[in-house]
Order: sequence, then structure tokens, then C-alpha cells
Amino acid sequence: MIDSEQHPYVEWIAREARRPVVVDLDARARLMAAVRAEPRPRRRPGWQRMFEPRAFNVSPLGSALLAAGLVGIGVLAGAFAFDRDGRQAGQPPAAVASRLPVSDSLVKFVFIAPQAGSVSLVGDFNGWDATKNPLRRSGDSGLWTVQLPLSAGRHVYAFVVDGTWNRDPAAPVTPEDAFGHANSVRIVARGVAL
Amino acid sequence: MTDVTLAPGGWVIAKDMGDDAADVQRVLAGDVDAYSALVDRYYDRCARFAIRMLGNRDDAEDALQATFLRAYRALNRYQERDRFSAWLYRILVNQCRSVAARRAHRDRVFVREEALLLNAPDTSPGWSGEDEEFVQRVLAELEPLLREAFLLKYIEEMSYEEMSALTGVGVSALKMRVKRACDRLRERWERIKND
Repeated sequence: MIDSEQHPYVEWIAREARRPVVVDLDARARLMAAVRAEPRPRRRPGWQRMFEPRAFNVSPLGSALLAAGLVGIGVLAGAFAFDRDGRQAGQPPAAVASRLPVSDSLVKFVFIAPQAGSVSLVGDFNGWDATKNPLRRSGDSGLWTVQLPLSAGRHVYAFVVDGTWNRDPAAPVTPEDAFGHANSVRIVARGVAL
Repeated sequence: MTDVTLAPGGWVIAKDMGDDAADVQRVLAGDVDAYSALVDRYYDRCARFAIRMLGNRDDAEDALQATFLRAYRALNRYQERDRFSAWLYRILVNQCRSVAARRAHRDRVFVREEALLLNAPDTSPGWSGEDEEFVQRVLAELEPLLREAFLLKYIEEMSYEEMSALTGVGVSALKMRVKRACDRLRERWERIKND
């Protein structure tokens, strides 16, 4: 069997799609007019640039020493801050809720799409892969649901309905990031089912 | 104008990276016209991706306009250790996703006529607008995430590592998407052949 990626038809499609496109020449003029109407971007002050995140290279030995140091700091901090049973030093026994194990919570996602043929969930928890968490239709109601375990914290997600992306109308949306993309947000508490 | 030159397996050669950085610095120093050099360098390439991804001119122009405007506004956050082209493409991919999501609420009609009008005439034998229209239609049949991965891999000719840095998706997931896109195309071919 021929590998699909080596298939002549696939190669033909790719070759045709690589052809250049002609765009409306006025579109660039419109774009530059819009750019000129914008406030000028300015260099950020030096003190701001000092605190921006940056990548650096560390040798294997250096990374091992760094890891050992961080573990040591964590152990020391834990020894001073917590009792042996995990309570903060000097505090009464914790309430039941806070004793729940730090484990995944079972979270239910619901989407209403009476006409849809397929609905799936994509998010930061499944690598935005539309195949991993398909929703199941409940009868003829147009209600689609899926439940899955999620770690505590903030999760960003969307629904793929018949191949097109949709935000969850019942959830808050992310503010558009620097790249202009917004999705829905679900905050998951520790050890509870939502 | 400096043309973008592809390096084997990569996107832009070092000379262009230097040009990009210099142009960014000129813009930040107050020379707005320097931005038009960046627009000229990348507009056509970005337009090809947007049109292949979105399938019609109006949506593609919306995505392009938003991409270059957002890049301009955020230019002081661009860091020279990253390639400008990769940074810009990350914005473009997200803009195309946003436009596609908005369009989903509007309609799902693929405007074939517009795609046909957009494409450059080609003098090579055997090519016609019909082929182009056909290719746009075939691409539109792929699920958006599969189409996006296929375009980045085979039309923009990026490595999986570059695609991963751009989309935030793991290499193995991207390989799977590309493979599934190719599988869908091959299956389509089998159906045509057997009809």
C-alpha cells in the first residue's frame, strides 16, 4: 500500500496549492493607511525589557545542579511551612474539602447543536486535537455532552462543530491575546465534580 | 524590496532575518514607512496561506489586515531572537482561526468564484483555473485543523518543529494531523477513481 503522504494525488494537490495567488493591489494600500492611522509602536523602557521572560542555555551539569538546588529549596520551605500531615504550621486541622486529594475533577461540557453531525471538544488539555474528546448526542434534543477528568486550574477550550470552531456560548471567553485569538474558559476547582 | 528566500527545510535565510530586524528597529524609531517593507516582504506569502485556509478573498483580506495591524501594534514586544516570519505567521494562523470561527456563525458556503478570480494566471501547460478551483474545493473539504497542518507542512514547507513552535501543538499530534489530511485526500482519490 502506498503511503498517503507519497501519493501522487496528494502531491498534485500540494503542488497546485503552492502556486502564488494574486491579491488586490489596493488591499496593501488600505492596510498601510490603517497602519498610519495607528499610534506608533515605541520601544519599551529598558527596565521593562529586563523583566521579560527569556530563554537561556544550560549545560547538562548546570541543569542538574539547578534542579538539585530547586529541590533543596522546596524541601527546606516545606519543612518549615507544613506539619507532617500536610497542614500549615500552627493551623487547626483543615476542613474536609481541603483534604481532598489533588486529583483530576470530572468536568462536563455541554453544547446545543440540533443540526450538527458531529461535535468535539478541543482545548489546551488535549493538544487541540478534535479526535480526542468527541461529544455524544443525547437523544433528539440537540444536546451534545462529554465528561472528562481535568486538572485543577484554568482551561481554555472550544467546540469543533462539523469541522468549524465555536466558542462555548455559556462560558466566558478569553480576552484576545497578542495574536488576536479568543476561546472559552473553564476554571476547574480541586477534587470536585462539576 | 527584499524577496524572501527559502532555505532547505526552513523558512527564511539569515540575510532576511537581518533585514527584518533592521526594519523593525526603524519602525520603532519612528519610521512608519519601514513597515511597508515588512508588508511587501510577507504579504503575498501570508495571502496564499489565508486564501488556501479560508477559501475566499474577503475573509482572507480580513485576516491579513488584522494580522499586520496586530503585528504593528505589538512590534515593541517582538524579540529579535525569534524569527520575524515565524512570529508573524503565528499571528496569521490565529487570525485565520478567528475569522473561520466568526464565519461559522454566518454561513459555510465556499465561494468558489472568488477563489478562482484570486489566482495568478500561469503559462505552464496543463494548468487552468478549473484546476485551481478544484484544489480550493478539495482543501475546503478537510477539517480546519487538518487543513491548517497540511498547508503549513506541504504549502509553507515548514518542519514539524517549526509548526509546533507556531501552533503550540506537539510534533506527534501535528504529524497525525498531516497524515490524516493526506489519508482523506487519498481516500477522495480512491472514490473518484471508482466512480
